[in-house]
Amino acid sequence: MRKADEQGFREFAAANAASLRRTAYLFCGDWHTAEDLMQSSLMKMYLAWKRIKDLDNLIAYARKVLLRTWLDEKRRPWRRAEQRDGELPDAADATVDPDTTSAKLWARELVHTALLQVPPRQRAVLVLRYFEDLSVAEVAVAMGCTEGTVKSQTARGLATLRTIVEKLDNSSGRVAS
Amino acid sequence: MSEQEIREGMLLAVWDEPPLDFDPDTLIRRVEQKKSRRRALVAVGVATAVIAVASFALPGLLPRDRDSQLGAETQTSAAPSATPSTPDRRRHQKIGDALADRLQRQRPEFKEVYGSFNWSGPGLKPEMPLQPVSTSQDSDDLYGFVYFTDAIGPTALLVTTGSAISPGQLCNSGTALFCRDVRQNDGSVVTEAEFRDGSEVVKAVSMRTFVDGRRSVIISSYSRNPSTGNGIRQNIPVGVDVLTALTTDSVIAWE
Repeated sequence: MRKADEQGFREFAAANAASLRRTAYLFCGDWHTAEDLMQSSLMKMYLAWKRIKDLDNLIAYARKVLLRTWLDEKRRPWRRAEQRDGELPDAADATVDPDTTSAKLWARELVHTALLQVPPRQRAVLVLRYFEDLSVAEVAVAMGCTEGTVKSQTARGLATLRTIVEKLDNSSGRVAS
Repeated sequence: MSEQEIREGMLLAVWDEPPLDFDPDTLIRRVEQKKSRRRALVAVGVATAVIAVASFALPGLLPRDRDSQLGAETQTSAAPSATPSTPDRRRHQKIGDALADRLQRQRPEFKEVYGSFNWSGPGLKPEMPLQPVSTSQDSDDLYGFVYFTDAIGPTALLVTTGSAISPGQLCNSGTALFCRDVRQNDGSVVTEAEFRDGSEVVKAVSMRTFVDGRRSVIISSYSRNPSTGNGIRQNIPVGVDVLTALTTDSVIAWE
């Protein structure tokens, strides 16, 4: 690869690595796996950089690669997912506001417990729509499906997520809105 | 749970993300290493495939006939002497076929004429050759029979090539009716002999000693089938004239 192209990739990777890792985290619920997914996606992009470097929306392409990488990874039969059957002990942090902490803990639970129970493709649609703030058309491009499929997957994903959150709220005493 | 709550929840979920230790250069280095590893793997795979294909294809591509040029070159370089290092059964079979063909021409009334020199029996039996003959894998000596059926029944001629014996040894191998040397045009000497047992001729022999004087061919006709020891008859089926015609036939590649 030419030096100029390599420099272009270097800049793109440095600028978008964190964002891609966050998206990957919401897909898989684990920061280590998210980092692996982000790196694998960037490696694939590096190999294809000569061909893709002039695309209009490179970050959209990167999201697409990330999504495909994650779905491929999930399909691998030898993949061993971590069993999350343990609970970390609560540690009090005196430096933060209790209300904020409660909201963050709930958000973490939303991701770790509720979002991870949503089927993978529905989860991907929810993350791309509500975390990445992509339009239906953009999500359709990233998912490689029609806009109608994106809408139906979003509706189903939301319904599933609400049901799970409702169950969680009932068990923890929180009132679902 | 509203869509806005989901948005906020997701944003809060990544709030405590661990610090990112990402170096694009390291990633590029890893990709380049992976590429070179893949290239090496492909090269090894291709080399293995080429070797495998070559190992299967080469024996088929090389000439099978030892009389061909390549075979002759190999033979010359491996063993400078006239004797090949391995038995050439195909050459023996060619001699057998040629003998059968020439005998059929000499005696058209014979039926089922064929030669067989792939002797695999224990030792040289039932008929011991007059000359030293080796049946080992390394020897070019020949021991076999030309089978045929005449008016009396099936019988055979014993054919051997091996180390030459002297005419005297041949003449003294029985009670000779006659034993004579006949010099040929090519310089070789043919010894013809007939032997009797009482008043009956029991064996006719024609021995041609090759020009080098070290090896000879002997064809013998018996009053019994030399390949079985049975089938005794009153007269030998073929006389020395026919036997000499065979030992001196230039069509047959004796040497």
